[in-house]
Amino acid sequence: MKNPYRLFLASLACVIALFACASATAADLSALFKERVKSVVAVEFFTESELDRRPTVTAALVADSAGTLVLPPSAINGYVQPEKLKDFRVYLPGCSASEYSSAQYLGQDPVSGWHFVRVEEKLWSSLVPVTAFAAKSPGTEPALGEEFWGIGLRGKDEDFAPYFMASRISHVQSMPERTAITLAEVAAPGLPVFDDAGGFAGVAVAGFGQTYVQYSRNDRGLPIMLINTDESSVFQLASEVAPWLGRVPANVSGRPISWLGVYGLQPMDPEVAAFLKLGDQSGCVVSEVLDGSPAEAAGLKNRDIILELDGRPLPRFKPDRVVTTFFERELSMKKPGDVVALKVLRGTENVELKATMVEQPRLFREAARTYFEKLGFTAREFVYGDGIARRVKLTDFKGVVANFVKNSSPAGTAGLRPDDWILEVDGVAVKTYADAVARLAAIEADVTRSDFVLLISRSGETSVLRIKLK
Amino acid sequence: MKPATLNETPSPSITRKLTLLTFAFFAVAVMAEAAVSRGFNHLLDAVVRIDVREESFDTGARRFTGSIGSGVIVSADGLILTNAHVASPRSVELSVTLASLERVNATLVGWDHWTDLALLRLDLADVKRRGLTFTHAEFADSDKLFPGQTVYAVGTPHGLTRTVTRGIISNNRRYFADNRGVKGYETGLFNTWLQTDAAINPGNSGGPLVNENGRVVGINSRGYLGADNLAFAIPANIAKRVVAGLTSAGAITRSYVGIVPGALLDLEGFYSLKQNTGMLINSVDPGSPAAKAGLHGGDIVLSINGTPVDGRFPEQLPPILNIIASLPVGSTVKLVVKRGEQTISPAIVTEKLESRQGEEWAFEKWGLTVRKVSRAYARENQLDDDTGLLVLGVQAGYPAAVAGLNSGDIITKINQERVTSLEVAKKLHDAFVEKPVPTLIEAQSDRRVSLYILKP
Repeated sequence: MKNPYRLFLASLACVIALFACASATAADLSALFKERVKSVVAVEFFTESELDRRPTVTAALVADSAGTLVLPPSAINGYVQPEKLKDFRVYLPGCSASEYSSAQYLGQDPVSGWHFVRVEEKLWSSLVPVTAFAAKSPGTEPALGEEFWGIGLRGKDEDFAPYFMASRISHVQSMPERTAITLAEVAAPGLPVFDDAGGFAGVAVAGFGQTYVQYSRNDRGLPIMLINTDESSVFQLASEVAPWLGRVPANVSGRPISWLGVYGLQPMDPEVAAFLKLGDQSGCVVSEVLDGSPAEAAGLKNRDIILELDGRPLPRFKPDRVVTTFFERELSMKKPGDVVALKVLRGTENVELKATMVEQPRLFREAARTYFEKLGFTAREFVYGDGIARRVKLTDFKGVVANFVKNSSPAGTAGLRPDDWILEVDGVAVKTYADAVARLAAIEADVTRSDFVLLISRSGETSVLRIKLK
Repeated sequence: MKPATLNETPSPSITRKLTLLTFAFFAVAVMAEAAVSRGFNHLLDAVVRIDVREESFDTGARRFTGSIGSGVIVSADGLILTNAHVASPRSVELSVTLASLERVNATLVGWDHWTDLALLRLDLADVKRRGLTFTHAEFADSDKLFPGQTVYAVGTPHGLTRTVTRGIISNNRRYFADNRGVKGYETGLFNTWLQTDAAINPGNSGGPLVNENGRVVGINSRGYLGADNLAFAIPANIAKRVVAGLTSAGAITRSYVGIVPGALLDLEGFYSLKQNTGMLINSVDPGSPAAKAGLHGGDIVLSINGTPVDGRFPEQLPPILNIIASLPVGSTVKLVVKRGEQTISPAIVTEKLESRQGEEWAFEKWGLTVRKVSRAYARENQLDDDTGLLVLGVQAGYPAAVAGLNSGDIITKINQERVTSLEVAKKLHDAFVEKPVPTLIEAQSDRRVSLYILKP
């Protein structure tokens, strides 16, 4: 009789203990949450275009105690010139959205893709860098089923109120960064993820979708992919991304950015490796070696298969395509002037090469541009990327590109379209950007002008456009 | 309409005068009717329905599809004119229904997608054996057509055999070029079209457009989808030349220099040209004879082989292009070209005009259908050369699909051998059929090169 009673007491004690434990955790979490919200902010900025200013709102994490904020790569379109990014505003989660601190854009880091912003000093004391929250066991990988939590932010109309999310580890893999996939959404993209003790465990990343089948009256099961842009169930582990927090660009252009000059890297799958008797070797097929690049100078050829970088065989990933991201990331960590050693398979023979990385040619976002309001289009400098897209040799770089064409403007009505390559103005070849701007400006300033003529190239075909001004 | 009118009994209240008028009208109408019906009946006996079974290579396997078109018999020995988009080298079975409703097989004599015309020949032995009869239609001079003239379309719209619709010539010189218009092949670059409001529906294709005497003025070809009564026909005078060419050689060979023209319109002043002079070069195909001669967009062609040209309006362009196209391949064209203030006179040696569409094939064991990359396709897509096969389709579960190939990929190498022709691939496929072993494919998709293994 006594035994069952004692057992009951024991189990009761157990239940109470468990309950106490759980409630204690909840209380702790609330405190931990409150403290860690200080490592996240909402950032609003405006992208200025020819016609308007478009606002963007994104979440950002606090990288250091000097007001450095990190915005996820997708927050800013890579084609936009940094000087067109205006009026950065930083909001504290849950505080009135009518109050904000201004911030300055610092540039994009070529390795992480992160954008860096520095907020004005008055806010620094309200912020705590994520690195202040040490992980309970740094460097160890999260265990399957282990619980992690993170922060989401509501919209501006709700004062960016922070909210709690939590989930368990479902899977950890290399993409090529060690990346954890959780059962459900764990944090807003770009925001930190914490372990149960509140230690910084990683940063949530966007862009992962889930496949669903959509049924409707007309469709019998249409496969679709849904991507939650506000919340993410994928995070890169802190051991991988924490070192990136210090990669604040030295200037707004993000330079130096090193460049090898290979285009269209494609993974070599295991079947192909087996066929080529390469065993378990991984590799990247080089689709094209770019004109005037270090890769070309080193003797790399189109269709070479890169097997080793700096004496180390390229690792095998699942899915296979991660190997190209891996290779590109490894290269992005080099500096101009660094020498990379490559081992490639060319046909049936192994070739070893050494290439000296150089500074990347001017990017689209660095290309100069001028908007001619009366003519109705923006002329942009022809840069290296234009040459790749149009398969133009370096020696044939010329003209300017119509970067923007205003609807119903003289240029728009005449049939000019964005991305048209302008080769001639009034029958005279456009040699340089400055040349084009000078001549277009003269046309725009000439009030007696009734029309002018452009020779443009669009998908490899040229066309003469007469642009009527009157 | 007319029989209904005849059946009407004039009401007693109608005055004598009106009755007389009515009689006079009837007399005229009956006379015209008689002339029309003689020509018409003759023509109707020459119009045929064509049932086509053809191969298609879109799905990773050779498949067969059926379609219905129209045609008109143009000679006593059973030549039938129809559209290139009705009968083509892809047709594997051509069954012709004569006016007597008897069916006879036919074979393809030749086709010319540029003018959307194809020529068939009736199985005359069969016709004779079965004692069948037919008439053949006569052509009228299509240059004499005028807008507003009444014309009739005869054909098999939506399978409704022997349908006659009536309309007028809406425009007798319509410019209408389409780079993929005839089963993906180019059409309309070297000819203008007749535009008519006679109802043209699917199945009318290849049937004749005739005048009131039943003489063929055009071959109905196409209509604007979703528009009301905007239809186009190839003028008879062009059709006559194509019939002659296809009968003698089985194909129409044209010369090519690589000039893409544009209408000058209001640009005469800019180029300081005399009124109605010159043809604007909008673009020059890279690597073409014109490009090698240094011509480029913005140049103005003043004359071709001494003949001055006037390309101010779009409908003036096809005849100009046709001057060059009609020259023998390999002949020298002397152009006078104005560039800014200077005038140059390059001599250009023509090449044979080729379609952008290459030959198609199905590799059954690989579950792969392809189209040979043509020079024009390579130029258009900025490929290095015409090496390669464009993947049209892959069949699920077959080696090509399992390896990951997709439609739109261009296969450039098989087992390290460059695919310079369809024959190279056929040979390797035959070897695979004989002895299935893993086969390495190099393919590019949007300039990205990937390797694939076809596994047995």
